Amino acid sequence: MDKSKRRLIGSIGAISAGAVIAPISSANASATVIIRNNEAADRKGMVGKRYAMLVDLRKCVGCQACTIGCSIENQAPIGQFRTTVKQYEVTLDNGSTEAKNVTSFMLPRLCNHCENPPCVAVCPVQATFQREDGIVMVDNERCVACAYCVQACPYDARFINEETLTADKCTFCAHRIEEGLLPACVETCVGGARVIGDIKDLGSEISLLMAKHRQEIKVLKPEAGTQPHVFYISLDNQFVSNVEGKAAIYDPKGDRA
Amino acid sequence: MDNKRRQFLKSGLVVGGVGTFAAGYASTTKHMVHGLIEGTSGEKTKHPHFGNSLDPEFKVNQQGRLIANPDQRVAPSMCFGCWSLCGVRVRVDNNSDEILRISGNPYHPLSNEHQLPFDTPVKEAYLSLTGEAGLKGRSTACARGNGMLEIRNSPYRITQPLKRVGKRGEGKWQPISYEQLLTEVVEGGDLFGEGHVDGLRAIRDVNTPLDSENPEYGPKANQLLMTNAGNEGRDDIFKRFAFNSFGTRNFGHHGSYCGYAFRAGSGALMNDLKKFAHVKPDIEHAEFILYIGMSPAQAGNPFKRQARQLATARTRDNFEYQVISPTLPSSMSLASGDNNRWQSIKPGTDSALVLGMIQWMFDNNRLNDRFLSQPGPNAMQHAGTAHWCNATHLVISDAQHPRFGAFLRASEVGLTFEGKPLSDSDPYVIVDADSNALGLHTQTAPAQLFVDRTIEGPNGDIRVKSSLQQLKEATFKHELSFYSEQCGIETNKIIALADKFTSHGTKAVVDTHGGNMHSNGFYNAFSILMLNALIGNINLKGGAMAKAGGYPTSGKGPRYDFTQFEGKVQPKGIFLSRSKFPYEKTSEYKRRVAAGESPYPTRSPWYPISSPLLTEHLSAAIDGYPYRLKAWINHMANPLYGVPGLANLLGDKLKDPKELPLIVSVDAFINETTALSDYIVPDTVTYESWGMTSPWHGVPTKAVTARWPIVEARTTKTADGRSINLENFLIDTAKMMALPGFGDNAIADAKGKLHGLHSAEDFYLRSAANLAYAANGVPQACGEDVYWSGLERLLPDMKRVLTSEELGKVAYIFARGGRFEDAEKSYQGEQMKHKWSKPLAIWNEKVGTSRNTITGEYYSGCPTWHPQKMADGTPLDEQYPKSQWPFTLSNFKSNIHSAVSNLSPRLNSIKGVNPVYINPVDADKHGLSTGDIFTITTPSSSIEAIALIVDGVTPGTLGFEHGFGHKELGERAHWIGDTQQPVKMKTSDGVNINDLGLTDPTRQGKGVLLDWVVGSAARQALPAKISVG
Repeated sequence: MDKSKRRLIGSIGAISAGAVIAPISSANASATVIIRNNEAADRKGMVGKRYAMLVDLRKCVGCQACTIGCSIENQAPIGQFRTTVKQYEVTLDNGSTEAKNVTSFMLPRLCNHCENPPCVAVCPVQATFQREDGIVMVDNERCVACAYCVQACPYDARFINEETLTADKCTFCAHRIEEGLLPACVETCVGGARVIGDIKDLGSEISLLMAKHRQEIKVLKPEAGTQPHVFYISLDNQFVSNVEGKAAIYDPKGDRA
Repeated sequence: MDNKRRQFLKSGLVVGGVGTFAAGYASTTKHMVHGLIEGTSGEKTKHPHFGNSLDPEFKVNQQGRLIANPDQRVAPSMCFGCWSLCGVRVRVDNNSDEILRISGNPYHPLSNEHQLPFDTPVKEAYLSLTGEAGLKGRSTACARGNGMLEIRNSPYRITQPLKRVGKRGEGKWQPISYEQLLTEVVEGGDLFGEGHVDGLRAIRDVNTPLDSENPEYGPKANQLLMTNAGNEGRDDIFKRFAFNSFGTRNFGHHGSYCGYAFRAGSGALMNDLKKFAHVKPDIEHAEFILYIGMSPAQAGNPFKRQARQLATARTRDNFEYQVISPTLPSSMSLASGDNNRWQSIKPGTDSALVLGMIQWMFDNNRLNDRFLSQPGPNAMQHAGTAHWCNATHLVISDAQHPRFGAFLRASEVGLTFEGKPLSDSDPYVIVDADSNALGLHTQTAPAQLFVDRTIEGPNGDIRVKSSLQQLKEATFKHELSFYSEQCGIETNKIIALADKFTSHGTKAVVDTHGGNMHSNGFYNAFSILMLNALIGNINLKGGAMAKAGGYPTSGKGPRYDFTQFEGKVQPKGIFLSRSKFPYEKTSEYKRRVAAGESPYPTRSPWYPISSPLLTEHLSAAIDGYPYRLKAWINHMANPLYGVPGLANLLGDKLKDPKELPLIVSVDAFINETTALSDYIVPDTVTYESWGMTSPWHGVPTKAVTARWPIVEARTTKTADGRSINLENFLIDTAKMMALPGFGDNAIADAKGKLHGLHSAEDFYLRSAANLAYAANGVPQACGEDVYWSGLERLLPDMKRVLTSEELGKVAYIFARGGRFEDAEKSYQGEQMKHKWSKPLAIWNEKVGTSRNTITGEYYSGCPTWHPQKMADGTPLDEQYPKSQWPFTLSNFKSNIHSAVSNLSPRLNSIKGVNPVYINPVDADKHGLSTGDIFTITTPSSSIEAIALIVDGVTPGTLGFEHGFGHKELGERAHWIGDTQQPVKMKTSDGVNINDLGLTDPTRQGKGVLLDWVVGSAARQALPAKISVG
């Protein structure tokens, strides 16, 4: 099958992998102008590290173990999710009379822990902050649930937790990472697709994988300028900026993407 | 849009409660003013940053050492969210005894790609799951594995003994004492004010025939049917009670409505009609895998291991796979590029595709002649092949010959043999490849593959054909174009597939599974799996591997012999489901022949090669052919949900106590079947219970999962303080009836000393001792193993039951959740370590010499095209013409749900209903849009479903996702005493294809449509029509 003949829904220009990778290094240089709200001592996180996630989509089987594991680990209200896996049916039509080729595509979604997080800047009470290790967090004691951050996030990664009535989102399971453990979603990833680690440590698994797959790595909505830090291997161009497909197999609740 | 065209997306969002942004936002605005002054106005979180997230179970300190959290423990257990039965690790709160979260057991081959070496200390094993190391070492639980912890505290759980109030099935119960339960079940009486009911004591008569005219039916004790869902690790004690203590012949489980057509078809090829073995691809080293009627990584058994291996394999350069199925599975991966492809097919036509492929393989010399031509083990060794088969053995092919369909033996043509004629030591006859002369299969040289000749025997000429000749002729009965038309796949694609399959030597594999549940499922499965035989990939690395199996537990083991006890009963008589026993040996047959009438058709089919069938047990009992039942003890089995058409056929009958006077269920929940009970015995859930299981398949190394109660049972206690559960119910019932094998002196140790069986602990701790001592035994556990695995809570029972030496070894396996051979033992050079030893059957003699008892015709002994059929052989398409029934139903396993997982609210919050897949071509024709409600009608039933329009379904096919459409298991709020269970807010649990199952009108004794050879359920490829509005 000729990949160039693939047509999905609409045709969205792909951002080259190089363009995506580049901001990682440049981001640090421009960090001073980005609001992180992390002056307080308990908002520093693990100084000297930069956490990111790499998802090898070839290995994602769409089993939703991560979705449930996260939901239990983080005690999210039932029906509200910090991470989901969208399951798409994709019809590849090469335009000939040959029968259509239909296949599946899985896309795990979560907070991108952006280097330039739009959610932090809009928080009127400085509840949302980004730690030195890149993890974007919410101070539940300050949050007033105005939901500006929910609106500001281009990835629909946030929601107002209906029990705590505060903004809620993925924390990369910071409470576990700090103790040397893996996040729930990574720990229980059946296909072994999700990899988390410190990208400043060049010997870490994630750094090695990112170096190996440098040309194939993409992020979601690079054009938003957020410099997301959830990276994907084998993210089809059609999904980079326009996360839509034909009728998703089901519709996860609490996720409006 | 009118109200009949409800939008699916809308209803999807409502299901499971609020969760939309809109809802969240609405409450936000309301609370905002308050929040501005006082911070959050919701429930204060545990931690300002970490919210309500769980406290970590341990931590790794600066020195890389694992530090425990004294408030938690992590213990090994077994998941029962589906039938993979994976080993898991469970985080438990030490203060509340609540289960916090579940993931995989690092020692367990079903939860890892490569399990940790068994001798790794537990603390080190847990350390291997952390940090950078944890990425490679991760041991996982799937969505169900994570979510099923919710069943323990489910508001629908039954924790005390219940007796029905009012009519059977009304959903009203009264709690009763354990003692009352035992007394009434054993002694019977006028239990419900409806007249006398025989108790178990009255039913148990192991001497008097239940039917004097048909003594082969066995004793009256056979009128107790005992069923369980399947072997989730507690089969042995259940069967001990049924067979050897009570003495009934009738035990059944869910196999016949799970994947039995596949198992039986595989058993035919594997020459194993006892255990119906099958093979699985060695995914790690295969180059091409063809999956037909199954969806690896979406479902299957073992789900997780297979998914992980496939996920890894498709990142390799030298791996490709295709899936042939009526609906697109999540096995497919756009992200993996061109190495995987889905091919749609018309349901129920898989063997047409495969026979087309085989035909091309015959025509183009694409068979593995070297494998096929070795006639026996000596030749195999000489040729250096990994296995052998009966391709060259000669089948008696003269329909008039009394041994038609059987293999010609040495004694029949005057060749040398030992022992009795036609016994195992009477060799099979072959034609030597070089000399063209008759020879024996024991020779070291290859034999001729294609033979069709007449041989002179002492009693006249015998026409014989080799097995492979039989297969070739069967395959060429139809043109390739005919096969293509049947399955809806173009001939060039069939050829391309055959070419592809035969282009990787022995590193190609075909796999199939429970998708073969059509009325022609047996021959579909037999045909599909024949592809493996023809390329000779069995026992080879990268080919098809045999099950590695386990170690002895509650059988005859090195420490205890569970198989022998004083007064042990050997059950006798014909299975209620008319299985295994040849009809031609019954009194009925003899009477009919003596009366000069044709012995065929029988009132209902007999199944000469089948296991006991729960698809037939109940209809047989209600119809009284061969006999009726007086009582039924059911542990968790749910045939009324799982057998297509059965609820429709028998639901009302089973509500009538006259039809089946006593129904006792043992279950933690009330399902569609146990709702019809007279009594319910509460049961433990998997984390609270004992059990010993082996992986079903897909693991190349030996493994036994040994689970023990890692948390306290939530069921009520007996007067002497034991939890009420299945085992204690069986033990106490047996003791009350003074049945052999339970109570004092029930279990003999290796020295002949007898021990009591008074509790579940007495049974399983001794089973564990066998496991720990088998195969040279395991070392003693160290204190740290006990501490880190949370085994301390079990020590008092272990000290009571086990010797001190046993205790240390049992602790070693319990701390690791079982006994597992190391992953490095998978291979021996280019062959699998654990091999299949019986010859593959290109021709299955038992099948080929058995008759269908409705038509009196012989079955085909090799794969042959058989369309879907009714019991009397009428093709389904004739009975239900396409002109009236233009649609075909297809069922597929869910990637989220199993048949019991709707008890987890979190799983339901991901997927709470199952819209039915319909192709755009069909949707357009009927003006259907996604989200519309439409009616699906089969010849027996009708349901309303939500439409989901997808390209990923064969035109003319409706795709059903399994695990939905429950009417019980929380969907109905039962009354327990004066309290009603909570009513679910969900409006619908979706649809269950089995509610559309067919009654078979061609049989005299009423029954549902089943596979016409083996009696497995027919849930696939059912005829249907649809209507909108």
